[in-house]
Order: sequence, then C-alpha cells, then structure tokens
Amino acid sequence: MRSFRTLALGASMLVLVGACATGGGSNSTVKVGSVGFDEARVMAEIYAQVLEANGYTVDRAGIGIGDRKVLLPALESGQIDLQPEYIGSGLAAGYGGTSSNDPATNKIDLQKALEAKGVGITVLDYTPGVDTNALVVRQETADQFHLATWSDLTAVQDQLKWALATDCSTSPVCAGALKDAYGIDVAKLDVTPLGACTTPMADALANKTVDVAELCSTSPEIIVNGWVRLEDDKATQPADNIAPLVRNDLLSKVDKVAFSKLLNDVSAKIDTPTLAALYKEIAVDKKDIADVARAWLTANGLLP
Amino acid sequence: MNIVAQTLAWLTDPANWQGPNGIPVRTAEQVAISGTSLLIAVLIALPIGLWIGHTGRGTTVGVNVANLGRALPSLAVIGIMLPITAALDPQLGFKVYPTLIAMVILAVPPILVNAQTGVGEVDRELVEAARGMGFAEHHLLARVEMPIALPVILGGLRSASVQVVSTATLGAVVGFGGLGRYIVDGVSQNDDGQLYGGVVLVAGLALLTEASFGLLQHVLTSPGLRLERAGASETAMWVAPEAAARP
Repeated sequence: MRSFRTLALGASMLVLVGACATGGGSNSTVKVGSVGFDEARVMAEIYAQVLEANGYTVDRAGIGIGDRKVLLPALESGQIDLQPEYIGSGLAAGYGGTSSNDPATNKIDLQKALEAKGVGITVLDYTPGVDTNALVVRQETADQFHLATWSDLTAVQDQLKWALATDCSTSPVCAGALKDAYGIDVAKLDVTPLGACTTPMADALANKTVDVAELCSTSPEIIVNGWVRLEDDKATQPADNIAPLVRNDLLSKVDKVAFSKLLNDVSAKIDTPTLAALYKEIAVDKKDIADVARAWLTANGLLP
Repeated sequence: MNIVAQTLAWLTDPANWQGPNGIPVRTAEQVAISGTSLLIAVLIALPIGLWIGHTGRGTTVGVNVANLGRALPSLAVIGIMLPITAALDPQLGFKVYPTLIAMVILAVPPILVNAQTGVGEVDRELVEAARGMGFAEHHLLARVEMPIALPVILGGLRSASVQVVSTATLGAVVGFGGLGRYIVDGVSQNDDGQLYGGVVLVAGLALLTEASFGLLQHVLTSPGLRLERAGASETAMWVAPEAAARP
C-alpha cells in the first residue's frame, strides 16, 4: 500500500517536472533589446508585440540600450535574450567576420562566428528588407563637387566637413572601409562625431554644420529633404538584412519551433519599402513607436 | 586587463596626449566652455541677486526663477536649443551654443540665490548704522553689504562652477568636444580605458575647481569675518563692518 502511494507520488512528480520543462510560452519572459535608432527600436517593438500577443511576457528594458558594442555583450551575458541584428554589419563589426553583399552568406557566416565564440546564440530568418550605411550630401554639395559615388569623395575629402558615427574610427565597415577602399582617412578630416542614423546627424546636415553625414539608407530625412545618397561603388558596405539573434537558453525554455515560426513569419513580411515607411512614420511624422508597430502588425494580420 | 589597468594604460599612453582629440585640447575645451558660461551666468545672476538682497524686493520671484532653472534638465535644454541656435550659426550654433546656454541656465540659480541670501542676511542694524553715517545706497552695497556677503556669494560661484565643469560633458552628445568626448566615445566604442579615463579627468577637474574656489573664498574673505567665523568674541563682530566700511 505504502509503496504504491510512493510510486504514485513519484510518478506525478515526474509528470509535473516534465510539464515544467517543456513549458509553453505563457510564463516565459523574453528580454528584448536593440540599438538606439528608430528603425532598430521599431523592429524590436514589432517582435515584442507579436510575442506578447502570443502569450509571452516581454521585458523591454533593453530597447535602445546603446550601440552594437554595448548591445552584443548584453546579449552574450544574458542581460537581453533577443535583438534585431543587421546581419552584415553585425558579422563584420561585431564578430570580426567578412560581410558580403549576399544575405544568405552573411547569415551562415554570422551563425558560424557565434558558434565559434561559443556564446549560445541562434540567428533566425532574415527580412527581405535591407538597410545599410549611407553617406549623404545636400543637393548643392553634390552639384558643387560633382558627387555621385563614394569614390568621388576621395579627391575633395578635406574640403568637406563630415559627421560620422561615434564608433566610426574603430569600425571596420566605417573608417576601415573608407581608408582601404577609398583612400579616405577619417583621422585627418574635420569630423563631428554623432550617433549614427540619429536626428542630430540629420540636423547637422540640414543646418549645414556638416557637408557629409552618415545616415541609414532607409533614413526618411533623405527623401524628405531631397538629399543625395552617394553610391558605395566599391560595395564596401554590408548587405544589412535584419534577423533576430536569440539566446539558446531562451529557445530551450520555450517551444523552439513555434517561437521561431512566430518571428520568422513577421520577418518575411518586412521588405525595404516597409522599413523606410516605418522609419518615416516615427522619425518624420513623429508617431509613437508602439502605435506604429501595432498598426503595421494589425494591417498585416499578424496579431491574433 | 582589468578596468583600473585599462584606465591607467589609456591615461599614460602618449598618443592620447597629442592632437585635436588629445587630453590637453579636450581639457582646454572643457575649461573654456565652463569659464564662458560661468562668466555669462555671473553677469546675469549677480546683479539681480545683489539688487534683490539689497532692496528686499522680489525675493520670492528670485527664488522661484532660480528653482525653475534648477528643474530644467540640461540635456533637454540642449535638445530644445539646438534647432534654434543651429539655424542662426551652423557651426558654433550646433556644436557650442546649445551646451553653453544649458550651462548658463545651470549656473544661474546658485549664483543668484547665494547673492540674494548673502546680501539679504547682512545684519540690518549694520546697514541702518551705515545709512545713519551718511552712506549712499551704492556705497552701502559695495562697501558694507558685499564684503560681508562675499563668502556666501563666492560659495554660490563655487557650487555653480563645479556643477558646470562636470555637466558640460553632455555637450559631447551633440558633437561638442571637451572631456565628455571620451565618455561618449568610450561607451560607443566599448573602450573602458577611454571611458573611465574621461571620468577620472572630469572628476579631477571638478575637484580642482572646488579646491581653487575654496581657496579664493578663504583669501577674499575679510580678516574680520574670518575671525568671526572662527567663533571669536562679540567685539570681532563689531570690528568687522568698520574695517570693511573704511574706504
């Protein structure tokens, strides 16, 4: 009698423990993070809202936590579980890899680099949409110096005032690429360091404080102000499709297949015009990031 | 390498002491913007504070305006001023004026309130005695009230200068140089040596400012007042204003 009771107790405990181990989404907290500029924030918010609508609890404290050099250590140490990464730049600037113009290659190489570092992070599917670094000038500057490509900047580099990202001097896709491919040595130029793709960066160009600014190719200010985006003719800038980087220990706590599919379905619908439109609504129309994310998700039938 | 070692390595690297991003240039920029904003703040706040303290009128207004200035976060002021000043002057209006204005707003409250309080708290009997002796109002202010209030006024200046020197680092967020450059870039480039090197330099400069003004306060305080503050007898208190009032 007693042994039967012990057995029954043991069996039910096993079932309980088993249930907890494969636990569904409802009690898992996902810590979402991102870099500071609006496009990254809205991507993080979109992923966050889809997860919340499907029963996950989301901690948004890491959204806008800082530049990639702050964000990646936060992801690797478990301070955040998920962040939307620009896979080309992430590979090159974050993990010392060589990025290419092909997103599939970038994804594979990024996953390999992550595994080599042993940080337990998985790259999910990437968006068809691409954002990459852009050097932008005002129309009159382009006319005055006959600028259409990055190569055109080489001859007149010290006649121009530049605004570049605060981490440009140590970034292989910024200072490194400019020097190696174009012979532009940023250390010797008049450079105002500002946050990449941020409003002060666009303001500096608009106010004529600088002549060349580093923005994102989907930055709405380019269209709104009629600026000229110079062509990276030597293809130094990485193909920056966006893919969520997720910690493996989060994936092991949830239904990995369902979780991945949830995010992959969202990513599949984000093309370049969508990225530019979302970015514009926030940066130019000054709409709230959460509202923009919700509106887009609803319009695309991604919220249950 | 631990953080202390990294910071020391950065501070002792000769490459960091040369060129437009070197420590001497950035320190000079920090001192320049702090000094300029303090001077402007003194020109604005000191006359107003002295007048309120001397006449006794508008004390509430003075205190409230000062509190408003204290309540405005400097970074918000920078953000608000930037589009305005940048439209007026693309270079300085972008990189310098927003930070300068924010620092002036930061410095005005302690200078104004201390001037007002310092003058206002001079013993009224002394003031009446001086009037009775035939002092004109401006002589009264200049030769009786101000010398007595000087330690308090300098205390306000000291407080303002330390706040400004350490807060001017915010300018780096909108492209100003100064020691804040090391802090902003150190975070952005994940370079702890640079970040904490900047922190050490700013803290050092703030402490130096505090000590310098402390010394100035001590030197410029009338000897009679120093005696009084050291807890001397009643007679010292009566000696002091006569010594101060003597032309």
